Amino acid sequence: MLRLVGLRKTFGTVVAVDGLSLEIRRGEVFGLLGPNGAGKTTTISLAIGQLRPDAGTVTLDGAGSPADPHVRRCIGVAPQALALYDELSGEENLRFFGRLYGLGGSTLRQRVARLLDFVGLTERRRDRVATYSGGMKRRLNFAVALVHEPVLILLDEPTAGVDPQSRNAIFEFVQTLKSEGRTVVYTTHYMEEAQRLCDRVAIMDHGRLLALDAVTGLLGRADRPTVVVVERAAGEERIETADPKAELVRALDQPDVLGVRVERPDLESVFLTLTGRRLRD
Amino acid sequence: MSAILTLAVKDLRLLLRDRVGFFFTFFFPLLYSVFFGILFSGTSKGPSAIPVAIVNEDRTPASDEFVSSLRKTSSLALDLVDSRDAAVDLVRRGVRSAYVVIPPGFGDASQRLFWGAPMRLEIGTDPGQAMTAGMIEGLVTARAFERMQRLFTDAQAMRDNARRSLEAVRSSTGLSGLQRTLLETLLTSVEALPDMFAAQKSAADTQPDGTTQPAFGGWRPVEITTSQVTRPAAAGRPRYPSSSFAICFPQGIIWGVMACAATFAASLLVERTRGTLPRLTVAPFARWHILAGKAAACFFTTAGLIVALLFVARLGFGVRPASLPLLLVAILCVTVAIVGLMMVLSVLGKTEQAVSGISWALIVVLAMLGGGMLPLAFMPPWMQTLSDVSLVKWAILALEGAIWRGFSPAEMTLPCGVLLSVGVVGFAVGAGVFRWSEQR
Ligand SMILES: Nc1ncnc2c1ncn2[C@@H]1O[C@H](COP(=O)(O)OP(=O)(O)OP(=O)(O)O)[C@@H](O)[C@H]1O
Ligand SMILES: [Mg+2]
Repeated sequence: MLRLVGLRKTFGTVVAVDGLSLEIRRGEVFGLLGPNGAGKTTTISLAIGQLRPDAGTVTLDGAGSPADPHVRRCIGVAPQALALYDELSGEENLRFFGRLYGLGGSTLRQRVARLLDFVGLTERRRDRVATYSGGMKRRLNFAVALVHEPVLILLDEPTAGVDPQSRNAIFEFVQTLKSEGRTVVYTTHYMEEAQRLCDRVAIMDHGRLLALDAVTGLLGRADRPTVVVVERAAGEERIETADPKAELVRALDQPDVLGVRVERPDLESVFLTLTGRRLRD
Repeated sequence: MSAILTLAVKDLRLLLRDRVGFFFTFFFPLLYSVFFGILFSGTSKGPSAIPVAIVNEDRTPASDEFVSSLRKTSSLALDLVDSRDAAVDLVRRGVRSAYVVIPPGFGDASQRLFWGAPMRLEIGTDPGQAMTAGMIEGLVTARAFERMQRLFTDAQAMRDNARRSLEAVRSSTGLSGLQRTLLETLLTSVEALPDMFAAQKSAADTQPDGTTQPAFGGWRPVEITTSQVTRPAAAGRPRYPSSSFAICFPQGIIWGVMACAATFAASLLVERTRGTLPRLTVAPFARWHILAGKAAACFFTTAGLIVALLFVARLGFGVRPASLPLLLVAILCVTVAIVGLMMVLSVLGKTEQAVSGISWALIVVLAMLGGGMLPLAFMPPWMQTLSDVSLVKWAILALEGAIWRGFSPAEMTLPCGVLLSVGVVGFAVGAGVFRWSEQR
């Protein structure tokens, strides 16, 4: 679907993206995971033709480079930095961006109405965006990415600064898109989001690709074993094990145990393994 | 094309949403025009003075003195020109409403007031300006009387005058004995004359229609020959402002449209810092559409502002354009220049605040230099030359050219050409330098 080859982008002396190559498959939800400053946003900007790479190429299946305006017609993007007109209403924002993609008349009207409903902003559609909460703005920002029904959708940290409710709503939107057969690129530094939503995940740091695999495959790379944590009045006991089930049964037999929990390796620990650093400091 | 329009409509909608910005865009220039229009209309000097070309063919101390006495007349805006032809031409083209020629012999005649040929003056006026012609005649006559009065209050000059006149009377052959006796009696009692002339002068000043009555029942100390200068139809209306509003409205308009340029330049920066610009750059059209959309919004607002203010000027303050087609051309050219200015302003800073600040500083300098604050006519010559670098000068000239200067299409070419060039070059340079993404 989208192929990035040898991408490189520098800002002054900062190398934001350093020789990145990826291929995103049609119909998948692709996660781009990395800490702050890893180069995720820069990668997105390069992928949609908003920035020109210093080196490398971006190709959209059968269409060519997104530097070509026609190719951009099949791409939708919800930028990390909200891109909305605060003085216009939610509805006006959607209509404006829809018109930019050549929509009009009843098609535009229907689509705007459906999207407002989709992101739960129908009631507030006539209010100025300036009066929206952070989560509402995020959802509108997301809706604007979809107004022209793109086949490839790039979501740059779509859950940044939203409450758990809006966050769940956004997860559902992404799953809906996937079920419609669209391709989604999803950047985040929350490993649990990537784990929950993404078919495949690329882990980035310092502009480089560290690993790219399905979530289960990545988890297998963690050098950390599963840990069974046994809670007692005196404190916690951590038991590393290859067979967590047996450890659990054993722990539950003991009389002074208050509780037990299992800590499986997650993308966080994969990241730790790969870089020696935590994803979020 | 439809994308450009969509972008422009969005900007206009945003402008309308911003009440304060809207107020400043439309009402500030109006306030400026009206305030200064009223302020200047209170003074008799300046714009309301009748523009007169004067030719001193006599070139004697007496004629020089007469010229400077006319110069001190507040209701005349005097312009000394070298030749009669040049003066006639100025009136014909409508640049001046009248000319006054002081023919050779004026100085001699003023040295002997009571005998021989009287002082002569020639006045030429535009026939469409009967009132003005009468006023000028009245004013010139009044100054001539004043001059005589002054001669008589100077005892030495008076005696000299009487003596010269007596000599002339005595050597004259065409006088009867009785006439000679009467004149000699008159000239030897010259002490009484100053009062008499003072009375005559005030009579000349107070004629309601501005014309003068011949003094002494037929004897005229100054003989005025009037002629009419017919102006070709193409020359249009007279080339001086009908009121101070004809000057202050173009100025107010320039302030308003420069504010427009600053507003839209800042809005381009706002789009970049608020993130909407990146989103626009990934829409399915080339980037120049985005700048063209901003330019179109700036264009419509600027043109709308000029038209709205000119409507108010016309309906509320009687400012009539000399030529409507040329005015439309002027509006177009000013608007194009403003769009170019907008684009240049947008690259002068990295943030909205920086651009707004720099814009205003630049606008004030441009206005100061170009006659947007103090009309150019009141500036020293070196500053008038320096003003060439300010687009404000050319914008005001283009508007005034169409409103009251009665410019011909040929005369409009220079200001309009400058404005169009500023617009096109400014836009091209600004667009070339414009940064699409924020460099942190
Ligand atoms: N416009 C810019 N100007 C200068 N430096 C930039 C610019 N954009 C990104 N950078 C730098 O490039 C690097 C990568 O930034 P980028 O925004 O791509 O990271 P990210 O992975 O999206 O981070 P985050 O999770 O914080 O959004 C950072 O060091 C950043 O400072
Ligand atoms: Mg980012």
